[in-house]
Order: sequence, then structure tokens, then C-alpha cells
Amino acid sequence: MKSATRLLAVTAALAASALVLGGCAAAEPTGPDGSKKYTIAFIPGIASDPFFKAMEVGAREAADDLGIELIWQGSASDYSPQTQIPFVDAALAQQVDALILVPTDPDSLQASVTKAEAAGIPVITVDTTVTEQDYLTSHITGDNVDGGRQAAITLAEQIGGKGKVFIQSGSPSATTNTLREEGFRDELEANYPDIEIVGREYSNSQPANATSAINTILLNEPDLAGIFAIDGTSGTGAIAALKNSGKVGDVKLIGYDAYAAQVEALQEGVFSALIVQQPGEEAKLALEYALAQLTGEGKDDIEKTVVIKNIVMTKDNFDETGQYEYVE
Amino acid sequence: MTVESSPVQEQRGARIRAVLLRQDVLLLVVFIAMIAFFSILNPRFFSAAAAANILQDFSPVMLMAIGQAFVILSGGIDLSVGAVLGLSGVTTAMIIRDQSANGSDPGVAIALGLIAGVVVGALVGLVNGLLITYGRLAPFIATLATMGAAAGITLVVTGGVQIAGAPRELILLGNTTYLGLFTIPVMVVIVIAALAWLYVSRSKFGRWTYAIGSNSFAARGAGINVRRHLLKIYVISGVLAALAGAFVYFRLGSGSPLSGRGGELNAIAAVVVGGIALTGGIGRLSGVILGSLIITAVLSGLIIIGVEPNWQQVVIGALIAVAVGIQGIGSFKGRTL
Repeated sequence: MKSATRLLAVTAALAASALVLGGCAAAEPTGPDGSKKYTIAFIPGIASDPFFKAMEVGAREAADDLGIELIWQGSASDYSPQTQIPFVDAALAQQVDALILVPTDPDSLQASVTKAEAAGIPVITVDTTVTEQDYLTSHITGDNVDGGRQAAITLAEQIGGKGKVFIQSGSPSATTNTLREEGFRDELEANYPDIEIVGREYSNSQPANATSAINTILLNEPDLAGIFAIDGTSGTGAIAALKNSGKVGDVKLIGYDAYAAQVEALQEGVFSALIVQQPGEEAKLALEYALAQLTGEGKDDIEKTVVIKNIVMTKDNFDETGQYEYVE
Repeated sequence: MTVESSPVQEQRGARIRAVLLRQDVLLLVVFIAMIAFFSILNPRFFSAAAAANILQDFSPVMLMAIGQAFVILSGGIDLSVGAVLGLSGVTTAMIIRDQSANGSDPGVAIALGLIAGVVVGALVGLVNGLLITYGRLAPFIATLATMGAAAGITLVVTGGVQIAGAPRELILLGNTTYLGLFTIPVMVVIVIAALAWLYVSRSKFGRWTYAIGSNSFAARGAGINVRRHLLKIYVISGVLAALAGAFVYFRLGSGSPLSGRGGELNAIAAVVVGGIALTGGIGRLSGVILGSLIITAVLSGLIIIGVEPNWQQVVIGALIAVAVGIQGIGSFKGRTL
């Protein structure tokens, strides 16, 4: 039935063009004043870590204030380039206006940055970065080496400049961890010759591993003066170990990051200090810079590298520093 | 193996050899040698405090290994136990946190939390069992799927954040040692291990498990309701993993969504080192108990003698390879109860 076929073809064509036109219209979200609303993808290192959760809260708040459409997507539980790259590729395929990235590996994510460059999409890195930073609009980070250094100085002060200390690290491959350890060791070596580092173990995301390791070290070194717990998981394990062996207060514990649970422990006196970053601030600045780059307004104020300082939080200075507790 | 009329002495010699080559006796020798080795290198290893620490590490591994032993004896495998440990652990943690916040009596809160965690573990076990018996999925595939689902749900439910808010009593419960060695959770685990040992070797349930593992067709032909039995086995595995999760939470005072990751590999290693064949139907629980002890003690020992963390994993891998190799020498095949 030729005429029926023709009718069908025409209807199909009309429907298709309607869809395409409708799609075009829908693809351009408009801001409150009718101007273009930018879509920015923010890919954290890992979605389930409290540090990145706090970053997400800051990012969403900033996105609301600035009128940005935020896509927050990341690997649920794996801090690795294999799981991160698909998210980055998806964002680029969606042709977002800008990309904010927390690279899980400086070399593996380089290709993704190059892809973004080819597509003309501005890229900002937060916390960690890639090897070639020429294309980046900016790199915003807390300073992990400085954090380690501050931890060393604070611990040294608290134990009277001499004694044995132990490092409980999270992972041997996470640059955040290795840089903090580096800062800690360098500072002690340079300025505190009477402090001896008696060992270093890894928690590998399991607090129970930290508890076990610290219990064992306490066994070996009954006069241990201090512990530096490099990440949140190590901190949790350390708290349990110290409570377990009744050494709370005798052994000074420096932790990293101000999650609610850690701040609570600080108030209880289990932690003697926390080195606090500002993940929400990093996210906010990243979004501001991204918008500036896209709209051209305030583009000259963009700094190529921004280092957001760490804060040393103790029970004594909590009145001033309490505000830096991570929002969950 | 028929024995021709041989002198009594030869028979006795053969019997002694048979005893010495039993997997669990070999493991006991290995365990004692290991303790001696570490203690000589660092006398602090031979102390109540070190033993208490090892027992606390040993508890969750033992619980999961018991469940895994039942499963593997029946011819299957359960990859979801690590994820169940995490999911049940955070469930227990959340219930206890909410109950404490509402002002409930700590004993009540802890009891409710435990029940909730165990129910979650049983449910996952039930899903595993149903997928395997009625869904006819291979155990590897079915439990791999539930492992992923459970791990994912744990992260969704916690938002990746650790669950705090444990009452003082709970931390005491998880950490007070009696006789300088045993916490209450450790004692519970020892009792469960003893019961499991008896149950596997002397009950109908145990015999049916071996039967199904050896030849499930024959077992069905003999009148065993294989499906119902397997459902029970996987539920037991889930419940034990849930209990492990609760005990890890008690020790830490905080429920971590990442706890238990990789736990299934430790459980399987303990079972394999203990002499249970992955094909099913062969092995003893006594070996599994020793296997779990060895795996947890060796890690503590390596830390105490100062071995670099990265080498620790290499040592454990080598240990497993050696243990399985010994299994071949001991010609363990054929022995069941």
C-alpha cells in the first residue's frame, strides 16, 4: 500500500525532526535571568570518603549560589584511575562546559585532560593534579607536605621535643598520604633530633588493621610518646587501640581531617590535635574560577596555583577553629 | 587400601605416620614453630597482650571461616562474606546509634543492634541460597553478585561515612579482657568454633554437608533434601559474617563501611590452609581453626619483628602456597569425619 507507506514515512520524519528540535531547545538550560546556565562536571577521587563528601557539600552550595548546573559523579568506593576514567570520559562525551577533577593518578589522567583540551573544555584540578599543568585553568590544593610538617611540629611540642613516635598511614600509593608522611619525617629529621620514628604501618582502608598494628607497636614500645594517624581510617583505628590499652592521654595522637567523629574524639581528649583541610573552600574556589573562565568575568583574577592552608585544631583553640569541622 | 598380614610393629608405625601426616597435626606443628620463631626474635611476642591482640584479629576471620568451611564442604563457595561483614556491621552500628540517641538502655540497644545485623546477614545468605538452589546459578557467580550488591548498599546507606555514636558500655563490651587474654566476643567465637567442630563431625547436618559436597546427585538419591540443606548452609554463612561484623564494630566503637573488604579471601585462605578441598566433601574443621590462627598470628608476628609492610603480603601468600603443598604430602584425600 504505497500511500500508507508514504504516510508512515512522513509521520516518522516529522516526529524525528520534532524530537531533534525539542532536544536542541532542552539542551540549553537557562539561568534565572535567561542567560546560559553552565553545566560543570566535578569528578572526585572517590565518592564515599568523608573528605570528598565535605567537598561535595561545598560544591553544591557554591553551584546553587552561582547558578551552575553541577554534575557530581565519581567512583563509589575505589580511589583508582581505572574506575575514575570512565566518569571523566562520560562527562566529556556529554560536552559539559567545564571539568573539575581530582586526579587519582597524575599520569593516567593526563590523557583525559588532553581530550578535554581538544574539545575546548576548561579543566581545573583540585587536591591532586596531573603531570602537565599547562592547559589547566587552575590547580587548587591543600598542602599535604605542609600538613605533615604541621603535624610534626604540633606533636613535637606536645611530647616535649623528645621521645618515640609512630606513623600509621592509610595507603602506600595515595599521594596525599605519602606527601604527609614526607612532610612529617623531613620536619622531625631537620629540627627534632631527639625524636625517633619507630615504625610505619598501613591501614589500607580498614580501621581494624590500624588498631591491630598500633596494639602491636604499643606492645613493642611501652614508652611510645606519640602517633601520627595520616588519614581518617587510621585515626579511627588508633582511637580504638588507645582506648583499648588505656593509653589515652599518655600517647599523643595527631589526626588528619575534621570529620564529626574525629572532632568528637578530639573533644574527648583522645586526639591531641587534628590537621584540618578546607575541602568545601577548595570546591567553591574551583567553581568560581570555572565560571570566571567561561564567562570571561573576573578571568584576570584566576590564579594558576592556589594552596589553601591547613588548620591545626586542638581542644584549646576550638573556639576559633571549630568552624572548620567538615560538614557531612 | 588392604593391609596384608604384617607384624604389629609395622602397623603401629604406619598408624603413627598417618597421625603425624594429618593436616591438622601438621598445622599445629607449624603454628607452634611460628610462635617459637617470632618469640625468639622478639620476646614481647610471647605475652598475654600480644595474644589478646591476635585473638581479637582472629575472631572475625574464624567466624567467616567456619561459615566458609560449611559452604565449601558442601561443594560451593561464598564470596559475599566480606561485604556482609561490612553491611551487617554498619546496620548494627546505626541501630545502636539511633537507640542510644533516643535514650534507650545500652543493653537493649546492643541487643537490638545485634539482632538487626544478624537478620541482615541471614537475608543475604538466604538470597545467596535461593539464587543457587532455585536460580541454579553457580555459587561463585551468585555470591559474587550479592557481594557487589551488599558492598554497594553499605555505601549508599552510610553515605561513605563511618557510624559513630556508640555508648560507653559497648566499647567496654568489645574490649575488656578477662584473664588478660579474652574479650567477651573472643570467648563467644571460641564457643561457636567448638560447637561448629562438634556439629560438623558428629551431626546428621554435618554428614549431609559432606555428602552433598562429595556427590550431590547421590545425596539426593539417598533422600537428602539438598535444596533445603544448601539454603541453611548459606544462611549460616551470612549469619556468621554478620556476627563478625558486629564484633569488629564492638572492637572499634565505630562502624566503618569499608570493614570486611577482602575478608572473604582471608576466610577462604583459612579454609584452604586448614585442609578443606575447594572441590568439596573433604576436610576437617580443626584444620580451619588452626588455619585461621596461623593467618592472623603471622601478620602480628611480622609487625613485631619489624618486617616491612609490603613484604607482609608476600609472606602470607607464600604461607598459603606451602600449606596447600603440605596438603598434598599428607595425602589427606579420602578422610572425612
